[in-house]
Amino acid sequence: MPSGSEATRRAGGVLRLAALLAGAGLLLSFPALAPNPYILSAGITVLNYAVLSTAWSLVGGFTGYISLGHGALLGLGAYGTGLLITKAGLPSFVALAAAAAIVALLAVPVGFAALRVRGASFVIVSIALVLILLLVFQSWASFTGGSRGLVVPRPFPDLTRPEHHRVFFFLFAGLLAAALATWWAIDRSRFGLGLRAIREDEDKAQALGTPTFAFKLAVFVVSAAFTALGGGLYALWFGDLDPVFQFSVLTGAYMVLMALLGGVRHLFGPLLGALIVGWALEWFKLQYGDTPLHLVATGLLLGVVVMFMPDGVIPALSGLLARFRPGEASIREVTAAELPASQARGPRA
Amino acid sequence: MASEFLLELNDIQAGYGRAAPVLRGLTVKVPPATVVCLVGPNGAGKSTVLKVASGLLAPRSGRVVVDGADVTGQGPQQLLAAGLAHVLQGHSVFREMTVAENVLLGGYTLKDRAVIQERIEFVRDLFPVVDERWRSLAGLLSGGQQKQVEFARSLMVSPKVVLLDEPSMGLDPKATSTVFDQVVRMREAGTAVLLVEQNARRALETADIGCVLDLGKVHISGPAPQLLADPQLSELYLGGRPAEPPTTPKR
Repeated sequence: MPSGSEATRRAGGVLRLAALLAGAGLLLSFPALAPNPYILSAGITVLNYAVLSTAWSLVGGFTGYISLGHGALLGLGAYGTGLLITKAGLPSFVALAAAAAIVALLAVPVGFAALRVRGASFVIVSIALVLILLLVFQSWASFTGGSRGLVVPRPFPDLTRPEHHRVFFFLFAGLLAAALATWWAIDRSRFGLGLRAIREDEDKAQALGTPTFAFKLAVFVVSAAFTALGGGLYALWFGDLDPVFQFSVLTGAYMVLMALLGGVRHLFGPLLGALIVGWALEWFKLQYGDTPLHLVATGLLLGVVVMFMPDGVIPALSGLLARFRPGEASIREVTAAELPASQARGPRA
Repeated sequence: MASEFLLELNDIQAGYGRAAPVLRGLTVKVPPATVVCLVGPNGAGKSTVLKVASGLLAPRSGRVVVDGADVTGQGPQQLLAAGLAHVLQGHSVFREMTVAENVLLGGYTLKDRAVIQERIEFVRDLFPVVDERWRSLAGLLSGGQQKQVEFARSLMVSPKVVLLDEPSMGLDPKATSTVFDQVVRMREAGTAVLLVEQNARRALETADIGCVLDLGKVHISGPAPQLLADPQLSELYLGGRPAEPPTTPKR
């Protein structure tokens, strides 16, 4: 290994660490910088999206299994937390942890059934899961509150509204950090290596001795737990649940869009996607009110991403940067003098 | 268990669905540190032999034995555990992963880190290309280089036998030459190799033992140089003798 590349790599590592710390600092100072509680709550929404899309990319990014059904796990986490507080009388954060654990347990049989099929079939199975749960939670009104919704008591009743937002901003930031750390740890492990092999070619991975099914199931359970935590924390923050919004194919589609937009093969891809999509959604709602226009914009964005940046923004941008770096371009102009003598003797010479 | 042969296919009958059998009583035996090459016309059953040997297709009758252990009817993963690695036809590297990750995936069934490290050093030493391009994406390598990554990947588990399915497919003559040189190096490292090739002449020049397949049976087998020297065999299966200028077929 030449020492030059080693030094470059170390410099890159220092640079990356500095960028990470700067990003974290910026994130944590957001509540102090936000001019009003509305902006702060928009920030929380974006963070929630970031948690969810990072959790989604644990399955969708590593294994390439595109789940549109993560809305179901989100809804179960939210309703599980709310119901454990209102019906079982558990303290808020105990209920949150218990709900996530229950969803993780449920994810075992769900994953066992759904992960047997690949490609389009898997997508359809995952959508079916959301729709079934939506019907169940709407119809079982005596238990879930049905379409009238479920009011979740606030965990900190003494706080004012802005204080409440501030606390939850940091709670969501902590959850996001945990999700990112999990993603990072898996990416570096042998487990992650096996998962990425599944994404590339599941049959080949299996032929080499990777326990593909067990791996898919394990990462699905981890992803489900984080999705449920995101949903549950949202329930504690927002305080009001409606099946239509909790068990929504649209929410699942947002997770996919954000992850794909940012780039599923990069740690911060889903986070970046959430920043872009989350901000855009809020902007559209603010400008045009409660019209379906933001859905049109979302659809267009998804189309643009799939057509022009199938690997996401991060690879597209780094590809663009690499093009401007001298000497690294794949095609560059070379003077005749630079060509080796043997090559210079072209047909025109 | 030590055995005279590392891989034995005994009196194999095999085929697909209800169709007539493709292999009709085929017997092939691969001794240690030997390259055995199967040649024969299209449809002779070369690919089917590899499918049976690697556990992808269960034979209708006959026995598959790896180093004295009967593994007839077992699946690819069990056969891998028994010491039999299969390098598939065409390009089968994980293109979006680095050479290092490809090689590591080959050793996925290994648990002991020290053993993994030792095997990595062994294959990096054996295949210079793998060592040079260790951090590159495998998809950026040329066809011949990718083949060598596949070889390295298959050797991670210290297999007793390696099955090579058409390693020269899609390669130019120079890359083919390199790949066959690497087959020789695998043999020198003590691995038994069962090689199936369309490029029959080149394969027989590399192999120790040649088996000519026809109609689902081993038609002729013997030391590879002897088969190469046989003018009748050359005419029938190797497309004429190399020294002579091409002649128009008399038919």
